[in-house]
Amino acid sequence: MIPELLSALPLTLAITFTAMFVGFCLALVAATLRVRRIPVVSHLTDLYVSYARSVPVVLQLFVAFYGLPLLVALMGAEDFFSPTIAAMVGLSFYHGGYLSEVMRPAYLAVDRGQHDAADSLGYTFRQKIARVVGPQAVHFALPGYGNSIIYLIHNVALVMYIGAADVMATAHLIMQRDYNQYQFETYLVLAVIYALMCLIAWFIVRFFELRSPMQAPEAMTTTQIKNALIASV
Amino acid sequence: MFDTDILLQDTQEILGAVPVTLGMALTIFVLSTIVGSIFALVEYRRVPVLRELIMAYKIVFKGVPMVIVIFLAYFGLPPAFQFLLSLLGINFNAHETPNWVILVIAVTGCIAAFQSEIIKGALNAFDTGQSDAAHSLGYTNGQLFRRILFPQVVLTAIPDLTTSMMVIMKALSLGFAIEVVDIFAQSQLTAALNYYYLEAFVIAVVIYMLIAYIVTQIADRLEQALRVRT
Repeated sequence: MIPELLSALPLTLAITFTAMFVGFCLALVAATLRVRRIPVVSHLTDLYVSYARSVPVVLQLFVAFYGLPLLVALMGAEDFFSPTIAAMVGLSFYHGGYLSEVMRPAYLAVDRGQHDAADSLGYTFRQKIARVVGPQAVHFALPGYGNSIIYLIHNVALVMYIGAADVMATAHLIMQRDYNQYQFETYLVLAVIYALMCLIAWFIVRFFELRSPMQAPEAMTTTQIKNALIASV
Repeated sequence: MFDTDILLQDTQEILGAVPVTLGMALTIFVLSTIVGSIFALVEYRRVPVLRELIMAYKIVFKGVPMVIVIFLAYFGLPPAFQFLLSLLGINFNAHETPNWVILVIAVTGCIAAFQSEIIKGALNAFDTGQSDAAHSLGYTNGQLFRRILFPQVVLTAIPDLTTSMMVIMKALSLGFAIEVVDIFAQSQLTAALNYYYLEAFVIAVVIYMLIAYIVTQIADRLEQALRVRT
Protein backbone atom coordinates (compact mmCIF):
# COMPACT_ATOMS: atom_id res chain seq x y z
CA MET A 1 0.00 0.00 0.00
CA ILE A 2 2.74 2.46 0.93
CA PRO A 3 4.68 2.27 -2.39
CA GLU A 4 1.43 2.90 -4.23
CA LEU A 5 0.68 5.92 -2.06
CA LEU A 6 4.20 7.25 -2.55
CA SER A 7 3.82 6.96 -6.32
CA ALA A 8 1.36 9.86 -6.11
CA LEU A 9 3.71 11.93 -3.99
CA PRO A 10 5.43 13.72 -6.94
CA LEU A 11 2.13 15.36 -7.93
CA THR A 12 1.50 16.51 -4.37
CA LEU A 13 5.04 17.89 -4.20
CA ALA A 14 4.68 19.55 -7.62
CA ILE A 15 1.53 21.35 -6.46
CA THR A 16 3.24 22.32 -3.19
CA PHE A 17 6.35 23.72 -4.84
CA THR A 18 4.43 25.61 -7.53
CA ALA A 19 2.21 27.15 -4.86
CA MET A 20 5.30 27.97 -2.79
CA PHE A 21 7.02 29.74 -5.66
CA VAL A 22 4.05 31.57 -7.20
CA GLY A 23 2.66 32.36 -3.75
CA PHE A 24 5.98 33.89 -2.74
CA CYS A 25 5.99 36.18 -5.78
CA LEU A 26 2.34 37.13 -5.18
CA ALA A 27 3.08 37.81 -1.52
CA LEU A 28 6.00 40.09 -2.41
CA VAL A 29 3.77 42.13 -4.71
CA ALA A 30 0.87 42.21 -2.23
CA ALA A 31 3.05 43.15 0.73
CA THR A 32 4.77 45.92 -1.25
CA LEU A 33 1.44 47.35 -2.37
CA ARG A 34 0.05 47.29 1.16
CA VAL A 35 3.13 48.94 2.64
CA ARG A 36 3.27 51.73 0.04
CA ARG A 37 -0.47 52.62 0.18
CA ILE A 38 -1.26 53.50 -3.42
CA PRO A 39 -4.92 54.70 -3.40
CA VAL A 40 -7.14 52.19 -5.23
CA VAL A 41 -4.63 49.39 -5.80
CA SER A 42 -3.89 49.03 -2.08
CA HIS A 43 -7.56 48.65 -1.23
CA LEU A 44 -7.92 45.93 -3.83
CA THR A 45 -4.89 44.20 -2.31
CA ASP A 46 -6.48 44.46 1.14
CA LEU A 47 -9.58 42.77 -0.27
CA TYR A 48 -7.45 40.02 -1.82
CA VAL A 49 -5.60 39.36 1.44
CA SER A 50 -8.80 39.20 3.45
CA TYR A 51 -10.23 36.83 0.83
CA ALA A 52 -7.20 34.55 1.14
CA ARG A 53 -7.32 34.61 4.92
CA SER A 54 -11.02 34.46 5.78
CA VAL A 55 -12.38 31.99 3.21
CA PRO A 56 -11.85 28.24 3.74
CA VAL A 57 -9.22 26.77 1.44
CA VAL A 58 -11.64 24.15 0.08
CA LEU A 59 -13.91 26.96 -1.03
CA GLN A 60 -10.98 28.85 -2.58
CA LEU A 61 -10.07 25.72 -4.51
CA PHE A 62 -13.63 25.34 -5.79
CA VAL A 63 -13.78 29.02 -6.77
CA ALA A 64 -10.53 28.56 -8.72
CA PHE A 65 -11.82 25.36 -10.31
CA TYR A 66 -15.10 26.87 -11.51
CA GLY A 67 -13.99 30.48 -11.86
CA LEU A 68 -10.85 30.15 -13.98
CA PRO A 69 -12.52 28.61 -17.04
CA LEU A 70 -15.00 31.50 -16.96
CA LEU A 71 -12.18 34.02 -16.77
CA VAL A 72 -10.36 32.39 -19.67
CA ALA A 73 -13.55 32.23 -21.74
CA LEU A 74 -14.10 35.94 -21.15
CA MET A 75 -10.65 36.61 -22.58
CA GLY A 76 -11.50 34.48 -25.56
CA ALA A 77 -8.92 31.76 -24.98
CA GLU A 78 -9.51 28.04 -24.91
CA ASP A 79 -10.17 26.26 -21.62
CA PHE A 80 -7.00 24.43 -20.64
CA PHE A 81 -7.63 23.98 -16.93
CA SER A 82 -7.16 20.54 -15.50
CA PRO A 83 -7.90 19.98 -11.79
CA THR A 84 -4.16 19.96 -11.14
CA ILE A 85 -3.63 23.41 -12.65
CA ALA A 86 -6.69 24.75 -10.85
CA ALA A 87 -5.30 23.35 -7.59
CA MET A 88 -1.96 25.04 -8.24
CA VAL A 89 -3.61 28.39 -8.97
CA GLY A 90 -6.00 28.16 -6.01
CA LEU A 91 -3.29 27.24 -3.52
CA SER A 92 -0.93 29.89 -4.93
CA PHE A 93 -3.53 32.56 -4.24
CA TYR A 94 -4.13 31.22 -0.75
CA HIS A 95 -0.44 30.99 0.06
CA GLY A 96 0.30 34.42 -1.42
CA GLY A 97 -2.35 36.12 0.67
CA TYR A 98 -1.28 34.31 3.80
CA LEU A 99 2.42 34.97 3.26
CA SER A 100 1.92 38.67 2.58
CA GLU A 101 0.58 38.95 6.12
CA VAL A 102 3.86 37.40 7.31
CA MET A 103 6.02 39.74 5.23
CA ARG A 104 4.27 43.01 6.03
CA PRO A 105 4.61 42.77 9.84
CA ALA A 106 8.23 41.64 9.36
CA TYR A 107 8.91 44.73 7.26
CA LEU A 108 7.22 46.94 9.85
CA ALA A 109 9.07 45.21 12.70
CA VAL A 110 12.41 46.52 11.46
CA ASP A 111 13.41 49.37 13.74
CA ARG A 112 11.95 52.70 12.65
CA GLY A 113 15.39 54.32 12.92
CA GLN A 114 16.76 52.02 10.23
CA HIS A 115 14.07 53.19 7.78
CA ASP A 116 14.75 56.82 8.67
CA ALA A 117 18.51 56.43 8.38
CA ALA A 118 18.20 54.82 4.94
CA ASP A 119 15.81 57.56 3.84
CA SER A 120 18.07 60.32 5.11
CA LEU A 121 21.02 58.86 3.22
CA GLY A 122 19.01 59.23 0.03
CA TYR A 123 18.41 55.53 -0.68
CA THR A 124 15.62 54.82 -3.12
CA PHE A 125 12.85 52.45 -1.98
CA ARG A 126 14.44 49.58 -3.88
CA GLN A 127 17.91 50.24 -2.47
CA LYS A 128 16.48 50.56 1.02
CA ILE A 129 14.78 47.18 0.72
CA ALA A 130 17.78 45.45 -0.82
CA ARG A 131 20.51 46.81 1.45
CA VAL A 132 19.02 47.81 4.79
CA VAL A 133 15.51 46.64 5.58
CA GLY A 134 15.33 43.43 3.57
CA PRO A 135 18.09 41.45 5.28
CA GLN A 136 16.68 42.30 8.70
CA ALA A 137 13.07 41.62 7.70
CA VAL A 138 14.07 38.17 6.42
CA HIS A 139 15.18 37.32 9.93
CA PHE A 140 11.86 38.42 11.43
CA ALA A 141 9.83 36.66 8.76
CA LEU A 142 11.51 33.24 8.95
CA PRO A 143 9.44 31.67 11.78
CA GLY A 144 6.20 32.89 10.20
CA TYR A 145 7.38 31.61 6.83
CA GLY A 146 7.96 28.18 8.35
CA ASN A 147 4.43 28.15 9.72
CA SER A 148 2.92 29.16 6.41
CA ILE A 149 4.81 26.36 4.62
CA ILE A 150 3.40 23.87 7.13
CA TYR A 151 -0.13 25.20 6.54
CA LEU A 152 0.43 24.90 2.81
CA ILE A 153 1.39 21.23 3.22
CA HIS A 154 -1.72 20.69 5.37
CA ASN A 155 -3.93 22.29 2.76
CA VAL A 156 -2.46 20.37 -0.16
CA ALA A 157 -4.39 17.44 1.31
CA LEU A 158 -7.58 19.18 0.14
CA VAL A 159 -6.87 19.26 -3.60
CA MET A 160 -8.47 15.83 -3.88
CA TYR A 161 -11.90 17.46 -3.71
CA ILE A 162 -11.53 19.22 -7.04
CA GLY A 163 -10.29 16.00 -8.63
CA ALA A 164 -6.50 16.21 -8.59
CA ALA A 165 -4.97 12.73 -8.30
CA ASP A 166 -2.75 13.37 -5.27
CA VAL A 167 -1.85 11.14 -2.32
CA MET A 168 -5.28 11.50 -0.69
CA ALA A 169 -7.10 10.56 -3.90
CA THR A 170 -4.85 7.54 -4.38
CA ALA A 171 -5.58 6.49 -0.81
CA HIS A 172 -9.30 6.66 -1.54
CA LEU A 173 -8.82 4.48 -4.61
CA ILE A 174 -6.86 1.93 -2.58
CA MET A 175 -9.53 1.88 0.13
CA GLN A 176 -12.30 1.32 -2.37
CA ARG A 177 -10.39 -1.48 -4.02
CA ASP A 178 -10.10 -3.21 -0.64
CA TYR A 179 -13.87 -2.92 -0.12
CA ASN A 180 -13.34 -0.18 2.52
CA GLN A 181 -11.94 -2.61 5.05
CA TYR A 182 -8.82 -0.73 6.09
CA GLN A 183 -9.99 2.87 6.13
CA PHE A 184 -8.66 3.73 9.57
CA GLU A 185 -5.27 2.18 8.85
CA THR A 186 -4.95 3.96 5.50
CA TYR A 187 -5.66 7.30 7.11
CA LEU A 188 -3.07 6.55 9.78
CA VAL A 189 -0.46 5.96 7.05
CA LEU A 190 -1.53 9.23 5.39
CA ALA A 191 -1.20 11.04 8.72
CA VAL A 192 2.37 9.75 9.06
CA ILE A 193 3.25 10.81 5.49
CA TYR A 194 1.96 14.35 5.98
CA ALA A 195 3.52 14.64 9.44
CA LEU A 196 6.89 13.62 7.99
CA MET A 197 6.58 16.21 5.22
CA CYS A 198 5.81 18.90 7.81
CA LEU A 199 8.72 17.76 9.95
CA ILE A 200 11.16 17.99 7.03
CA ALA A 201 9.92 21.47 6.11
CA TRP A 202 10.22 22.53 9.74
CA PHE A 203 13.80 21.25 9.97
CA ILE A 204 14.83 23.13 6.82
CA VAL A 205 13.37 26.42 8.06
CA ARG A 206 14.83 25.82 11.51
CA PHE A 207 18.28 25.34 9.94
CA PHE A 208 18.10 28.77 8.32
CA GLU A 209 16.75 30.33 11.49
CA LEU A 210 19.70 29.07 13.53
CA ARG A 211 22.18 30.13 10.87
CA SER A 212 20.85 33.66 10.83
CA PRO A 213 23.56 36.20 11.74
CA MET A 214 21.06 38.06 13.90
CA GLN A 215 20.76 35.13 16.25
CA ALA A 216 22.17 37.30 19.08
CA PRO A 217 20.28 36.65 22.33
CA GLU A 218 19.33 40.26 23.01
CA ALA A 219 18.12 40.81 19.45
CA MET A 220 15.78 37.87 19.90
CA THR A 221 14.16 39.09 23.09
CA THR A 222 13.80 42.77 22.36
CA THR A 223 12.37 42.82 18.87
CA GLN A 224 10.83 39.45 18.32
CA ILE A 225 7.54 39.96 16.53
CA LYS A 226 4.50 38.10 17.71
CA ASN A 227 4.38 34.73 16.07
CA ALA A 228 1.64 32.60 17.60
CA LEU A 229 1.09 29.26 15.94
CA ILE A 230 -2.52 29.36 14.85
CA ALA A 231 -4.14 26.68 12.76
CA SER A 232 -5.04 27.45 9.18
CA VAL A 233 -7.65 25.72 7.07
CA MET B 1 -22.21 32.02 -17.93
CA PHE B 2 -22.53 33.91 -14.67
CA ASP B 3 -26.25 34.07 -13.96
CA THR B 4 -27.33 36.89 -11.66
CA ASP B 5 -31.01 35.86 -11.49
CA ILE B 6 -30.21 32.82 -9.42
CA LEU B 7 -28.25 34.78 -6.81
CA LEU B 8 -31.14 35.87 -4.59
CA GLN B 9 -32.70 32.43 -4.35
CA ASP B 10 -29.33 30.79 -3.66
CA THR B 11 -28.46 33.38 -1.04
CA GLN B 12 -31.59 32.57 0.93
CA GLU B 13 -30.82 28.87 0.88
CA ILE B 14 -27.17 29.30 1.88
CA LEU B 15 -27.98 31.80 4.63
CA GLY B 16 -30.11 29.06 6.18
CA ALA B 17 -26.91 27.22 7.12
CA VAL B 18 -25.34 30.20 8.90
CA PRO B 19 -26.97 29.67 12.35
CA VAL B 20 -25.97 26.00 12.45
CA THR B 21 -22.40 26.85 11.49
CA LEU B 22 -22.12 29.63 14.06
CA GLY B 23 -23.61 27.36 16.73
CA MET B 24 -21.13 24.58 16.03
CA ALA B 25 -18.26 27.08 15.86
CA LEU B 26 -19.17 28.56 19.24
CA THR B 27 -19.45 25.09 20.81
CA ILE B 28 -16.03 24.14 19.48
CA PHE B 29 -14.59 27.49 20.55
CA VAL B 30 -15.77 27.07 24.15
CA LEU B 31 -14.74 23.40 24.38
CA SER B 32 -11.31 23.92 22.81
CA THR B 33 -10.63 26.97 24.98
CA ILE B 34 -11.40 24.92 28.10
CA VAL B 35 -9.20 22.02 26.98
CA GLY B 36 -6.48 24.40 25.79
CA SER B 37 -6.53 26.26 29.12
CA ILE B 38 -6.03 23.01 31.00
CA PHE B 39 -3.10 22.15 28.71
CA ALA B 40 -1.60 25.61 29.13
CA LEU B 41 -1.97 25.45 32.91
CA VAL B 42 -0.23 22.06 33.02
CA GLU B 43 2.67 23.48 31.03
CA TYR B 44 2.74 26.71 33.05
CA ARG B 45 2.88 24.79 36.34
CA ARG B 46 5.34 22.25 34.86
CA VAL B 47 3.47 19.13 35.99
CA PRO B 48 6.00 16.32 35.40
CA VAL B 49 4.60 13.49 33.24
CA LEU B 50 1.52 15.25 31.89
CA ARG B 51 3.72 17.94 30.39
CA GLU B 52 5.55 15.50 28.10
CA LEU B 53 2.27 13.87 27.09
CA ILE B 54 0.85 17.25 26.10
CA MET B 55 3.99 18.01 24.10
CA ALA B 56 3.49 14.78 22.14
CA TYR B 57 -0.21 15.57 21.66
CA LYS B 58 0.63 19.00 20.27
CA ILE B 59 3.26 17.68 17.87
CA VAL B 60 0.82 15.11 16.49
CA PHE B 61 -2.11 17.49 16.07
CA LYS B 62 -0.02 20.28 14.55
CA GLY B 63 1.65 17.99 12.04
CA VAL B 64 -1.36 16.16 10.68
CA PRO B 65 -3.80 17.94 8.32
CA MET B 66 -7.24 18.49 9.81
CA VAL B 67 -9.03 16.53 7.05
CA ILE B 68 -7.11 13.44 8.02
CA VAL B 69 -7.87 13.96 11.71
CA ILE B 70 -11.56 14.27 10.85
CA PHE B 71 -11.50 11.08 8.80
CA LEU B 72 -9.59 9.25 11.53
CA ALA B 73 -12.18 10.38 14.07
CA TYR B 74 -15.00 9.35 11.73
CA PHE B 75 -13.69 5.81 11.39
CA GLY B 76 -12.00 5.47 14.77
CA LEU B 77 -14.25 7.12 17.35
CA PRO B 78 -17.43 5.01 17.15
CA PRO B 79 -15.60 1.67 17.64
CA ALA B 80 -13.54 3.24 20.43
CA PHE B 81 -16.70 4.50 22.18
CA GLN B 82 -18.36 1.13 21.75
CA PHE B 83 -15.37 -0.62 23.27
CA LEU B 84 -15.10 1.75 26.23
CA LEU B 85 -18.82 1.54 26.98
CA SER B 86 -18.82 -2.25 26.74
CA LEU B 87 -16.01 -2.29 29.29
CA LEU B 88 -18.33 -0.39 31.62
CA GLY B 89 -21.04 -2.89 30.83
CA ILE B 90 -23.28 -0.44 29.00
CA ASN B 91 -24.89 -1.68 25.83
CA PHE B 92 -25.04 1.29 23.50
CA ASN B 93 -24.75 1.46 19.75
CA ALA B 94 -22.05 4.09 19.29
CA HIS B 95 -22.14 3.66 15.51
CA GLU B 96 -25.26 5.80 15.52
CA THR B 97 -23.34 8.80 16.87
CA PRO B 98 -24.42 11.76 14.73
CA ASN B 99 -21.72 12.97 12.35
CA TRP B 100 -21.74 16.50 13.68
CA VAL B 101 -20.74 15.24 17.12
CA ILE B 102 -17.74 13.50 15.56
CA LEU B 103 -16.84 16.65 13.65
CA VAL B 104 -17.08 18.75 16.83
CA ILE B 105 -14.83 16.32 18.71
CA ALA B 106 -12.26 16.12 15.91
CA VAL B 107 -12.03 19.88 15.36
CA THR B 108 -11.92 20.51 19.12
CA GLY B 109 -9.01 18.08 19.38
CA CYS B 110 -7.10 19.92 16.67
CA ILE B 111 -7.85 23.47 17.76
CA ALA B 112 -7.15 22.73 21.46
CA ALA B 113 -3.48 22.17 20.59
CA PHE B 114 -3.27 25.65 19.07
CA GLN B 115 -5.50 27.25 21.68
CA SER B 116 -3.19 26.11 24.49
CA GLU B 117 -0.35 27.89 22.69
CA ILE B 118 -2.32 31.15 22.67
CA ILE B 119 -3.23 30.89 26.34
CA LYS B 120 0.31 29.94 27.29
CA GLY B 121 1.55 33.05 25.52
CA ALA B 122 -0.97 35.20 27.38
CA LEU B 123 0.01 33.57 30.70
CA ASN B 124 3.69 34.24 30.00
CA ALA B 125 2.90 37.88 29.25
CA PHE B 126 1.45 38.19 32.77
CA ASP B 127 3.77 40.10 35.06
CA THR B 128 4.74 37.89 38.01
CA GLY B 129 5.35 40.97 40.15
CA GLN B 130 1.60 41.40 40.28
CA SER B 131 1.02 37.96 41.72
CA ASP B 132 3.73 38.62 44.33
CA ALA B 133 2.00 41.88 45.20
CA ALA B 134 -1.34 40.12 45.49
CA HIS B 135 0.13 37.44 47.74
CA SER B 136 1.73 40.06 49.94
CA LEU B 137 -1.69 41.69 50.32
CA GLY B 138 -3.04 38.37 51.56
CA TYR B 139 -5.05 37.34 48.46
CA THR B 140 -5.84 33.65 48.24
CA ASN B 141 -5.02 31.83 45.01
CA GLY B 142 -8.68 31.89 43.97
CA GLN B 143 -8.92 35.62 44.51
CA LEU B 144 -5.66 36.17 42.65
CA PHE B 145 -6.98 34.24 39.70
CA ARG B 146 -10.41 35.88 39.66
CA ARG B 147 -9.46 39.48 40.32
CA ILE B 148 -6.01 39.89 38.79
CA LEU B 149 -4.83 37.09 36.53
CA PHE B 150 -7.97 36.20 34.59
CA PRO B 151 -9.00 39.73 33.48
CA GLN B 152 -5.53 40.49 32.16
CA VAL B 153 -4.94 37.16 30.47
CA VAL B 154 -8.28 37.33 28.66
CA LEU B 155 -7.51 40.81 27.40
CA THR B 156 -4.08 39.79 26.09
CA ALA B 157 -5.53 36.76 24.36
CA ILE B 158 -8.47 38.49 22.61
CA PRO B 159 -6.81 39.15 19.20
CA ASP B 160 -5.51 35.59 18.91
CA LEU B 161 -8.77 34.10 20.15
CA THR B 162 -10.59 36.05 17.42
CA THR B 163 -8.32 34.52 14.82
CA SER B 164 -8.92 31.06 16.19
CA MET B 165 -12.69 31.65 16.09
CA MET B 166 -12.32 32.36 12.36
CA VAL B 167 -10.12 29.29 11.98
CA ILE B 168 -12.86 27.18 13.56
CA MET B 169 -15.45 28.64 11.16
CA LYS B 170 -13.21 27.65 8.28
CA ALA B 171 -12.39 24.25 9.74
CA LEU B 172 -16.09 23.37 9.79
CA SER B 173 -16.06 23.55 5.99
CA LEU B 174 -14.13 20.26 6.06
CA GLY B 175 -17.22 18.69 7.60
CA PHE B 176 -18.72 18.13 4.17
CA ALA B 177 -16.37 15.15 3.84
CA ILE B 178 -18.39 13.38 6.55
CA GLU B 179 -21.76 14.85 5.52
CA VAL B 180 -22.12 17.67 8.02
CA VAL B 181 -23.89 20.62 6.40
CA ASP B 182 -22.35 24.04 7.09
CA ILE B 183 -22.17 27.18 4.89
CA PHE B 184 -19.78 25.63 2.38
CA ALA B 185 -21.56 22.27 2.24
CA GLN B 186 -24.90 24.04 1.81
CA SER B 187 -23.54 26.07 -1.11
CA GLN B 188 -22.35 22.85 -2.68
CA LEU B 189 -25.73 21.17 -2.19
CA THR B 190 -27.55 24.18 -3.63
CA ALA B 191 -25.24 24.21 -6.62
CA ALA B 192 -25.65 20.50 -7.21
CA LEU B 193 -29.41 20.99 -7.58
CA ASN B 194 -29.36 23.76 -10.17
CA TYR B 195 -25.85 23.47 -11.68
CA TYR B 196 -24.97 27.12 -10.95
CA TYR B 197 -21.72 26.20 -9.18
CA LEU B 198 -19.73 29.41 -9.40
CA GLU B 199 -22.67 31.55 -8.30
CA ALA B 200 -23.27 29.49 -5.16
CA PHE B 201 -19.58 29.49 -4.26
CA VAL B 202 -19.25 33.25 -4.76
CA ILE B 203 -22.19 33.75 -2.37
CA ALA B 204 -20.46 31.52 0.19
CA VAL B 205 -17.24 33.52 -0.21
CA VAL B 206 -19.09 36.77 0.45
CA ILE B 207 -20.83 35.29 3.51
CA TYR B 208 -17.53 34.06 4.98
CA MET B 209 -15.85 37.42 4.41
CA LEU B 210 -18.78 39.28 6.00
CA ILE B 211 -18.72 37.01 9.05
CA ALA B 212 -14.96 37.53 9.37
CA TYR B 213 -15.43 41.29 9.17
CA ILE B 214 -18.20 41.30 11.80
CA VAL B 215 -16.29 39.03 14.20
CA THR B 216 -13.15 41.20 13.95
CA GLN B 217 -15.16 44.37 14.54
CA ILE B 218 -16.83 42.89 17.63
CA ALA B 219 -13.47 41.75 19.00
CA ASP B 220 -11.91 45.17 18.42
CA ARG B 221 -14.78 46.90 20.23
CA LEU B 222 -14.57 44.40 23.08
CA GLU B 223 -10.85 44.88 23.46
CA GLN B 224 -11.19 48.65 23.48
CA ALA B 225 -13.98 48.53 26.04
CA LEU B 226 -12.09 46.19 28.36
CA ARG B 227 -8.69 47.79 28.15
CA VAL B 228 -7.71 49.61 31.35
CA ARG B 229 -7.06 53.24 30.53
CA THR B 230 -3.88 54.50 32.11
